[in-house]
Amino acid sequence: MEIKEKLQDAYISYVLINGEQPKSVFVFAKDNELAEEDFYNYYASFEAIEQDIWLNLLSLAVNEVKAQEVWPQYSAREKALSLFYSFFELLKSRRSFVVFSLNGSTKTLGSPRVLDKLKPLFESFSSEILLEGIESGELMDRAFISRKYKDALWMQFGFVLNFWIKDSSSGFEKTDEAIEKGLTVTFDLFQRSPLDNIFEYGKFLAKNAGIKMPF
Amino acid sequence: MSENTRKEQDSIPTSKIERSTQFVKTGFKIGGNYVKHYSKKLFNPDLSKDELNESNAADIYESLSQLKGSALKVAQMLSMDKNILPKAYVNQFSQSQYNAPPLSGPLIVQTFRKYYGKTPDKVFDKFDLKSTNAASIGQVHQAFLGEKKLAVKIQYPGVGDSISSDLKLVKPFAFRLLGMSEKELDVYMREVEERLLEETDYELEVRRSLKFSQACSALENVVFPEYYPELSSKRTITMGWLEGLHLKEYLQTDPSQEERNKIGQALWDFYNFQEHELRAVHADPHPGNFLITPEGKLGIIDFGCIKELPDDFYYPFFSLALKGALNDKESTLKAFRELEMILPKDSPQQVEFYYENFSEMIALFTRPYTSGIFDFSKTDFFEQIYAYGDRMARMPEFKQARGVKHFIYINRTNFGLYNILHELKATVKTDTYPPHIKKES
Repeated sequence: MEIKEKLQDAYISYVLINGEQPKSVFVFAKDNELAEEDFYNYYASFEAIEQDIWLNLLSLAVNEVKAQEVWPQYSAREKALSLFYSFFELLKSRRSFVVFSLNGSTKTLGSPRVLDKLKPLFESFSSEILLEGIESGELMDRAFISRKYKDALWMQFGFVLNFWIKDSSSGFEKTDEAIEKGLTVTFDLFQRSPLDNIFEYGKFLAKNAGIKMPF
Repeated sequence: MSENTRKEQDSIPTSKIERSTQFVKTGFKIGGNYVKHYSKKLFNPDLSKDELNESNAADIYESLSQLKGSALKVAQMLSMDKNILPKAYVNQFSQSQYNAPPLSGPLIVQTFRKYYGKTPDKVFDKFDLKSTNAASIGQVHQAFLGEKKLAVKIQYPGVGDSISSDLKLVKPFAFRLLGMSEKELDVYMREVEERLLEETDYELEVRRSLKFSQACSALENVVFPEYYPELSSKRTITMGWLEGLHLKEYLQTDPSQEERNKIGQALWDFYNFQEHELRAVHADPHPGNFLITPEGKLGIIDFGCIKELPDDFYYPFFSLALKGALNDKESTLKAFRELEMILPKDSPQQVEFYYENFSEMIALFTRPYTSGIFDFSKTDFFEQIYAYGDRMARMPEFKQARGVKHFIYINRTNFGLYNILHELKATVKTDTYPPHIKKES
């Protein structure tokens, strides 16, 4: 485990100083006094190192927010907000690396591959708070759709990440605004809304008014 | 267009409530415009922002033009409004837009971590994550440090930016509406932008609050909260919690004439002390910035907007407020020229015309100053001002803006003060802190 962390740090500083990935695993391993084959015991590629760095950042943020005293009193909405703020605050300390990593990463199905390991953690966190929200009645349990809530959060996450990369406001204040406003809308949609009532009313009419719906 | 104008002229909102709903409506429309814009953009990424700006500006313009007519003209006359315009911004952009969603708990925690390096419950012994009041560009929370009850004001993120961009947005429409040239308007706009941006600088506000509350501490019946600069930052201000009622609530308690006079006098003294002794004045006499404490004193809780009075404005302006000053045509004309109310290229007829009209206005407006004791409860004073403005509104000569930029905030301040005193129905002694007059050497 310790060697893994060392490799991560070494990789980050190499990338930051040279502005590019090491020429080869061989060179990088040698610089860190490892044989190339030993390197593969820890990581299969440079991309795998980056994925781990991302994962660590998120798990750090998750642990941090859960350790807060107010955590149990927060609603699902506030929990999500809290994670976003903490994560992007942490990201600040690694901004140069983050920008490098995202720009260099190829995309599969919309999200950059460097986020591949981070995504499951984010999703399990999301599912957890969403489930709590649904159980407490804060969020609306909709057939078929509520399972997709976590995807909406993931999209929101990707959006804020892109926003942050381009944000040039001092202290990344605009990102705070984007998080606050964006998550408000997302969670408003998760809550019971007039649409649900319209849908209910439609169902009622279809059953009771004796009118054949034209569809 | 002409048909449009006529329609607007027929339906000028008259009451205060109607007027403010006007701005709220515009707020909604603009929000809608953004949503519309982005949903269109989803399908057509090439869509430029120009269309959005246009629909926003059109809605703002629509709302401003509804306010046309005497209110705007009086204001314009008193140069105070070029101030309706700022007021439109202030209402629209710092309130209806920012009032709606309160800051979420996590954002407050985030703000604290950014500026204090720790969470609010580590900074204070107790901190209430639910806000108690909305301030114009932020919200107020209650906190405790030991036994001491505190008020912590937190600013919404991104306010400063949107002020500048919104001002730019509406400019082309504003000058069309007010009939000013862009160059003329620019002077006023810059003044407004400067003040509004100052309001977003909380560090500056704390420094000023300390300075002003110290300087005014000798005034009778005026109290200030304590300020805690070490617990304040660019986006937060910590001050002592002042107990008390806002003006409206206070008036509902049906205070006696004597009490109302006392508050009115305190208010008058507070303003005139600042104007004439400090040469810088709390330029936002909005009822929300004052509290009446249980002891019947006036509490002042917001120093966000301060207007400084430079000598080249102060002396000519207040020389006009002296009793009998207007009888001396020579020196009155000189003051008008210095204040750019009469311009160098005016013809003799124009000079005569503006001299007469401005003199009449100033005589009216400075009446409280020249009377020694003034009863603000009388509506006829206010009616006269409005009637006068109405008459002006029909004179094409007043389409053009006149007067130096300092008029905007000074008139807003004094007129705001008159209005509050009117609501209080107070009678005050107006010669407690008289204007200073430059001695002619």
